[in-house]
Amino acid sequence: MSLTLITFLPLIGSAVILLLPKEKKGLIRAFATAFAGAAFLVSIHAYLNYNGGNAEMQLVERHAWIPVFDIHYYLGVDGLSMPLVLLTTLLSLISVIASYGIENRVKEYFFWFLMLETGMMGVFVSLDIFLFYVFWELTLVPMYFLIGVWGGPKKEYAAVKFFLYTLAGSVFMLLGILALYFSSEPRTFDLLQLAQQSSKFMGVRFIWIFLALYVGFAVKVPAFPFHTWLPLAHVEAPTAVSVILAGVLLKMGTYGLLRVSFAILPEATRWFMPILIVIAFINIVYGAFCAMNQRDIKRMVAYSSVNHMGYCLLGMAAITGSNASAGLSGAVLQMVNHGIITGSLFLLVGVIYDQAHTRNIDDFGGLGAKLPVYTGIMTVQVMASLGLPGLAGFVSEFLCFLGGFGQRASLLWVSLSVIGIVVTAAFFLKLIKDVFLGPFNAKWEGHLKDMSARELVTVVPLVVLTIFLGVYPTGLIQLMDATLTNLIRHVTGG
Amino acid sequence: MNAILPELILAAAALTLLLLEAFRPGRKIPVYFLIVLGLAGAAWALGRSVDACVWDFLALDASTRYLKALALVAVALVSVYSATFPGFQREGFPWGTYFGLLLLSTVGLFLMMSAKDLLLLLVAIELVSVTSFVLTGIVREDRRSSEAAIKYFLVGAFSAGLMIYGFSILYGLLGTTRIDALLAPTVDLPALPLTGALFFVLAGFGFKLALAPFHMWAPDVYEGAPTPVTAYLSVGPKAAAFGLLLHVLPNHGALRLTPLLAAISALTMTVGNLAALRQTNVKRLLAYSSVAQMGYVLMGFTAAGNNGARAVLIYLSGYVFMNLGAFASVLAMNQASQTESIDGFKGLAQRSMPLALTTMFFMLSLTGIPPFVGFIGKFSLFSAVLQSTGLVWLAVVAAVNSVISFAYYFSIVRAMFFETSDRPAPLSFSPALAGCLALTGVVTVAVGIFPNTFLLLVQKVLP
Repeated sequence: MSLTLITFLPLIGSAVILLLPKEKKGLIRAFATAFAGAAFLVSIHAYLNYNGGNAEMQLVERHAWIPVFDIHYYLGVDGLSMPLVLLTTLLSLISVIASYGIENRVKEYFFWFLMLETGMMGVFVSLDIFLFYVFWELTLVPMYFLIGVWGGPKKEYAAVKFFLYTLAGSVFMLLGILALYFSSEPRTFDLLQLAQQSSKFMGVRFIWIFLALYVGFAVKVPAFPFHTWLPLAHVEAPTAVSVILAGVLLKMGTYGLLRVSFAILPEATRWFMPILIVIAFINIVYGAFCAMNQRDIKRMVAYSSVNHMGYCLLGMAAITGSNASAGLSGAVLQMVNHGIITGSLFLLVGVIYDQAHTRNIDDFGGLGAKLPVYTGIMTVQVMASLGLPGLAGFVSEFLCFLGGFGQRASLLWVSLSVIGIVVTAAFFLKLIKDVFLGPFNAKWEGHLKDMSARELVTVVPLVVLTIFLGVYPTGLIQLMDATLTNLIRHVTGG
Repeated sequence: MNAILPELILAAAALTLLLLEAFRPGRKIPVYFLIVLGLAGAAWALGRSVDACVWDFLALDASTRYLKALALVAVALVSVYSATFPGFQREGFPWGTYFGLLLLSTVGLFLMMSAKDLLLLLVAIELVSVTSFVLTGIVREDRRSSEAAIKYFLVGAFSAGLMIYGFSILYGLLGTTRIDALLAPTVDLPALPLTGALFFVLAGFGFKLALAPFHMWAPDVYEGAPTPVTAYLSVGPKAAAFGLLLHVLPNHGALRLTPLLAAISALTMTVGNLAALRQTNVKRLLAYSSVAQMGYVLMGFTAAGNNGARAVLIYLSGYVFMNLGAFASVLAMNQASQTESIDGFKGLAQRSMPLALTTMFFMLSLTGIPPFVGFIGKFSLFSAVLQSTGLVWLAVVAAVNSVISFAYYFSIVRAMFFETSDRPAPLSFSPALAGCLALTGVVTVAVGIFPNTFLLLVQKVLP
C-alpha cells in the first residue's frame, strides 16, 4: 500500500489544489507542501520497511488492471529503484518549498507540479511495462506546462522541443514494448517475467527492439546525439523545475535502460556496450567542453549535467567488463549524487538570479566577501560536482571510471574520457574565481542579500547529504548491492 | 422485421419532421419532441433486436448493432450541438427540415452498416450523401456554406459514379449483387478486372471517407459547413463506412488488397497531419486531423484477422467521443468568442479552467497520449499491425505521425494555456453543451484509465 500512497498522494494533492480558489496562494502552497511532505514521509516509512540485503522485489502490490490485455497494476521496489524513490520524494518536497517565490498562476503551477511527481514516482515503482509507459508519458504534459508557462524568455520553444523529443522517443519505445510483448511466450507485460524469459530473446529482431527502447530512454538521459533539448529546457525552466528536471527526470532514462533494456535484452545489451562507451565518452568530453564555453551559470550547470550523465552511462556500460560491480554501483550512485548535487546547484543559481536577474558570470565578482554563507555553500557543491574527494560526486565518478577500465576492449575511449574530469574541474574553478573572488562589482552594492531562511531550508539538506554520501557511501551501496549483483549476473550470463 | 425496426422508426420520425416543417414551420418544441422520440425509439428497437438476415438484403449482427448504437450516440450529441448552435438561432430557420434530414441521414448510416447487397449499399450511401449535401448548405444566407455544399455535391456525385462503375464490373464478374460473393474463401476470378473493379470501389470509398489522395474536398466542406454539421460529417459517415468495410475487408488478403490498403493508410495519415500543421482555422484543422485519424483506423484493416477489426472498433469508438468532444469545445469557444480561428482559444485557461482542461484532454487523446481513450485505440492498432507480418513499417509511420500531430493539436493547448486573452471575462455557454462536454470528457478519460469493460464489450461483439 505504501508505494501506491507515495505515487498517488501528490496526484490527490493536485486534485485538491484544483478545487481551491486561485486567490488563496498561501493555502495552495501549504497544501502542496503538505502532500509532497506526506509522500516524502511515506517513502521514508517504505525505506524503513525495506530489507536491503534482499535482491527480490519488495513492498509489492499487484492487481488486475486491464485483464483483456493482461495488464496489471503492479508496483514494487528493489535496490535499484529504492534510492530513486527517496531521491524523488526528497527533491520534490524541496522543489515545492523552493517554488514559494512563484507568484503567477500559483494554483496551476502546483497542480502540474504535483502531477509531475506522480508521474516520476510511478515510473520508478512500476513493474508492468504498460503501467511504466503510462507513467512515463504522464510526466510529459506537466513538464511541458511548467517550462512553457513559468519559464524564461524562450520558454515556449524550450517546452515544445522538450515535448517533441520525448514524445518521439517514447512512441518508438511503445513500439519496442509491443514488439517485446508479442515476442514473449507466454505473452506478458510483466517486467520481471519478461526478464525471466530473456534467454529466448536472441537475434537481430531483438537488436531492433533494443534500439527502439534505447531511443526512448536516451532522449531522457540525455545521451548524445539526443541531448540538444536539455540545455534549452534547463535554462528556460524556473528554478524548482530545473531541479526536478536534472534531479529526477534524467534518471528516468538511465533507470529505464537498466530496468527494461538491460534486464530483458541481455544479448542485445552485450552487443551494444561498446557503442554505449563511445556515447558515454562523447557525453563526458563534449558536455564538459560545452559547459566550459558558457557564460550563463545555469547553462554551464546544464551542460555539466550532460557530462555527469556521461559518467553514469560509462558506469552502466561497464556491466560486461571485469569491474562490472564497481561500474554499476557507481552508475546508480551517480544518479543519486547528480540529483542531489546538480539539484542544489540549480537552487543556488536561482538564489542569485532572483536578486540580480542575471546569471552571467561576467556580471559578478567578489561575492565571497559580501555573501559568505552563499559562497560557502556554493563552493562545497561545486567542488562536489567537479569530483573533490570527500564529497559525494567523487565516489560515484571514481566507481564509474573503475568500472569503465574493466572494459579492456574499449580502454582508449575510457582513457580519453578522463579529459572530461579535468575540463569539469577547470570550468567550475573558473566559475568560483569569476563569481566569488576578485574585485566586487560595485553595481550590486547594497542590492544582494545573503541566503534567506527558506533558501537555506531547501539547500542545506542537500549539502548535508552531499557530505554524508561523500564520507559514507557504503550505506547506499549496500542498499543496492544485492539487486545490482543479480542484474550483472543476469546480463553477463555468469 | 425486427432487424430493421430501428431504421423504420427513424425514417418515420424523419418524415414526420419534414411534414411538420411543411405545415407548421419554425416550431422548435415539437421538433425536439420528435427527435428525442425518434432516437429513443431507435435505441429501444436496437436494444431488443436479434441477429437476423432480412430478404438477403440486410443483416444484423453484434458488431453492426454496436456500431449503430455508437452512431445513435453521435447523432444525439450532434442534435444537442445543433439545437444550441448560435448560427441556427434566427427567425425562420427550418428546424423540422434540418432534424428530419439528420435523421434520414442516420437511416442511411444504419442501412450502410447492415447492407448485404451492392444495390442497397448504393442507395444507402446516396441517402447519406444527399442529406449531407443539404445539411452542409442549410444556412442559405451564408455563402461559404453554399459553396461547401456545391463542392461536396460535385465530389460526391463523381465518387458515386466511380463506385457504381466498380459495382457494375463486380456484377459482371460475380453474376450477383450479393456482397457475400466477394467473401467466398475461394475467389477464383480473373485478376485484372477484379483489381480494377475493387480499385474503383475503393476510390469511391476513398472520396466518401476523405482518404488521401481523395481528401481534397474535406477541408473546404468542413470549414464551410455549419459546425454541428461538420461534427456530424467527421464521425457519422466514417463510422458507417468503416462498419461496412468491417464486413467486406476481412478478405483483403485473398483479394490482394493488403499492400494497397497499407499504402493508402500511410499516405492518408501523413498527408492529413502535414497539412493540418499549417491551419489556423480550427474547423479546417479538425478536418485535416480527421483525415489523419482515418488513416490510423485504416491501419487496423491491413492487419490480419479479427485483431485488426477489433482494433478498428476500439479506435473508432474512442474517436467518436474524443472528436465530438473536440467539436463541443470548438462550439463552446465559438459561443463565447464568435471566431473559428485558433486565436479564439487564447487565454481560455484563465476564462474557464474546466473547459480548457477538458479541451486539452481531447487533444491529448487525439494525439494518442495515455491515459486517454485515444491511446487505448492506438495501442490496439499498433498491436494488431505488429502482429501481422511485413507491416512493421506501417507502425513506424504511424508512430512518427503521432509525433507530428502533437504539433497542431498542441497549438490549441498552447493558445489556451500560454497566451492571454483579450477578453478576460469568464465565458458562458449553454448548459446543454456543457453536458455534452462532460459526457465526452468523462468517456475520454474514464475509458482511457479503465478500459477493461469497454474492451470486453468489443471482444464480445467481435469474437
